Amino acid sequence: MTTQTGSTVTRMQTTRAGGQMIADYWDNIFTARERGKHVVWYNGSALNPIFQAAGLEWCHGEAFSARLAAQHLEGPAQLAGAEYGYINELCSYSRTHLGCAVLSNGGGPAPGSETGVVDALDQQELASKLPKPDFFVNAYSGCSTGQQWDEMTYRVFGRSIPIFNVSIPFLWGNRPDSTYMAGQEWDEATDYVVGQLRELVTFIEAQTGRPFDWDALSESMSYIRRASELRLEGMALCERKPTPATYWDWVASIAHINFLPGDQALVDYFASVRDEIQARVDAGVPALENERYRLYFDGIMNWNKLGWLAKRFAEYDAAVIAGRYTHSSFWQEPQLIDPEDPLRGMAQHYLLCPINHSLKTLNYLTLRDCERFEIDGLVFHSTRTCRAFTNPQTMLASTAREHLGIPAMFFEGDVADASFYKDDILESRLVAMLESIDVRRAKAGV
Amino acid sequence: MNAILDRLAEVAADPDRYVVEWKRTHPDRKVAGVLPMNFPEELLHAAGFLPVVIQENNEPDTEGRVILAEFYCGYTRNLADQAAKGRLKIYDAFFLADHCVQLLGAADVMRFKQPHTPIFFGQFIASMSEPSTPARVRGELDHIVAEVERSTGVPLDHGRLAESIRLYNRDRALLRAVFDARREGRVHLSSKAMQNLVKSSMVMDKAEHIALLEQLLSDGIESHDPHARVRLHLSGHFCHAPKQALLELFEDCGAEIVDDDLYHGRRYITTDVREDLEPVAALSQWYFDRNVNVPCPTRVQHNADWDTYLTKAVSESGADGVVILMAKFCEPHMLLYPELRKALEAREIPYLLVETEHAGLPMETLRTRVEALVERISRRAAVAAS
Repeated sequence: MTTQTGSTVTRMQTTRAGGQMIADYWDNIFTARERGKHVVWYNGSALNPIFQAAGLEWCHGEAFSARLAAQHLEGPAQLAGAEYGYINELCSYSRTHLGCAVLSNGGGPAPGSETGVVDALDQQELASKLPKPDFFVNAYSGCSTGQQWDEMTYRVFGRSIPIFNVSIPFLWGNRPDSTYMAGQEWDEATDYVVGQLRELVTFIEAQTGRPFDWDALSESMSYIRRASELRLEGMALCERKPTPATYWDWVASIAHINFLPGDQALVDYFASVRDEIQARVDAGVPALENERYRLYFDGIMNWNKLGWLAKRFAEYDAAVIAGRYTHSSFWQEPQLIDPEDPLRGMAQHYLLCPINHSLKTLNYLTLRDCERFEIDGLVFHSTRTCRAFTNPQTMLASTAREHLGIPAMFFEGDVADASFYKDDILESRLVAMLESIDVRRAKAGV
Repeated sequence: MNAILDRLAEVAADPDRYVVEWKRTHPDRKVAGVLPMNFPEELLHAAGFLPVVIQENNEPDTEGRVILAEFYCGYTRNLADQAAKGRLKIYDAFFLADHCVQLLGAADVMRFKQPHTPIFFGQFIASMSEPSTPARVRGELDHIVAEVERSTGVPLDHGRLAESIRLYNRDRALLRAVFDARREGRVHLSSKAMQNLVKSSMVMDKAEHIALLEQLLSDGIESHDPHARVRLHLSGHFCHAPKQALLELFEDCGAEIVDDDLYHGRRYITTDVREDLEPVAALSQWYFDRNVNVPCPTRVQHNADWDTYLTKAVSESGADGVVILMAKFCEPHMLLYPELRKALEAREIPYLLVETEHAGLPMETLRTRVEALVERISRRAAVAAS
């Protein structure tokens, strides 16, 4: 019988320290207006190198929603969104961010009013801290809601702030030659996105009144490429048994690779991550005291429960090693980036968002990573308000069972709305899956 | 007249039966299943297919119930169920043009369950105002044409495409004539009958449908007695048809539906394809035109919005109130809902939001809410008159 052993995760020192980089980044955003900077709000793809090269301050809407949720400060923004009329089954990233827009635009409860949320007005102050944007850019991959969401943000601000949409075609795989990063569809989609990025640069030049600094973009992308290579080197070290780092460590580094500035500090951060993992390998220090199960996590992060989930799995000696959100995202194919001519590789990464593939490619990526990391079971986070990530999950589970003979479990939660998480269901299903793994091992004489 | 309405109702009630029968009588032809809402069926018709917009069926979701998560809209979960049960094997190919994440999820289930049936996604970019969009949409249409030609083995005849466009325009014009007559109070058909007119059009051979509509209009439409207490506009409900029991409930509660912007209503029939352009270019233009005529929240366009359309439509029909029919979990509708609410409240137009699902609508609860809306409107009218 599977029992709790109370194993704990040995958290990486580097990622703990990396939290300060993220805090500094947001503090910097909050003071953008005082420093006379142009502010862009954006959603979806990692366009930040373009904004960095244009001398802008950039605020990623999903990232801010995720940050509020991770800090358990999402309540007032979601309340403001609900009062504005957004139904709670709507993507909670968008509900939170639109609530921030309502608050930034002067809406929301007045001081002294009853909100039903403890410390609501203090929290509201944080949610409303985002400086109003000078313009919006949307470049959402995979999820159709993303583009519609920013259109609503545009409307919340009274249609007075310019917006530019980059449309990322979904990689459906119409043709026999359509495979991961190959085929006519891939080439045509790349060309189309590159063309739009050039138009985006023209739009930004018009907004800022300054010529775009292409050299700065090349420099930024060279740092990002190197940071990505180091990140992948660290991930490769986790093929070892027991793993020296877990999925949760990679989740803690998402902000860095996704939207922090492309500079030497970013490279230094991921060099430190890689080096700490290497040091663990050299010293024989595992991420979990007693790794008995190696799991793969499919689904977007449940930001409200990040630390909780890490502990929950560790208690059963289950090392979550890799996941679609971390390992198939965020500049994960650095060889595509040519710093001298960066737009093509950038466009291709926007296309490679892990919710921008049909089942065929997702099967390939999931099986590839399960085999690579010698995974025993799959954990699917059925994310209540994120249909994009949840789309193919039952079929991915079927494919993994059929091709690799590994079991799966599902639990329900959400990206930024804690009310959808049910802990008892997670625990009972996790125990059931681990027992199933034990039975298989016993039958195989392992 | 009743015989014609009965025939259209029969097809609307059981599209699969119509498709099977059509295949039996056309053994050398193919049937293409089309997913809503923007795919230009004319292209498939010109290539010899019977294009059919795949409808939500009335069966309980069982075998496919768990393939998509429970927080998907009723239509996409039902599509998954139809695929799991093999109900979609009556189609020889599938086509879609709309990038809806839930619809693509259902399409992935269809491909998973029916791997040997081609399913072609020619994505029409949803951001309508960007300078690159028209060329991209035209490029996707060219890809769709190439896929159709690959499927039939012969080049698409542009003369036949022009004929198909004229045929579809004729059908839309006839349907609009009925809808306009309803809006102007010249006919009083039940909302169920109105839905049958459009739903059957999505399924039937167009020439056959046109012949029935022409006969219907020629005979003259008998109306039911319009003794409704209030006049309502039905708004929303994309992709699939609202349950007819729900439509009947509105009328039971004393309302007459005088206009709508439902997909199984005006949204489907409002826009004709221009006949003065090269046919493929005209289909491309149609995609842009229809979002101006009846704006859709699945598209992003700054100079066309649904709330403005809705309040104008209410003003034109003289409707006393609006029922917003929202397929539960439909994200574009959820996102735009606050804007609709604001627009209606600003004009003091009473409204009611009703969320729908594939099964399990709480009819008696809904009845109370609809009655409350009818009562509210009636009292307001009485106060205004006193």
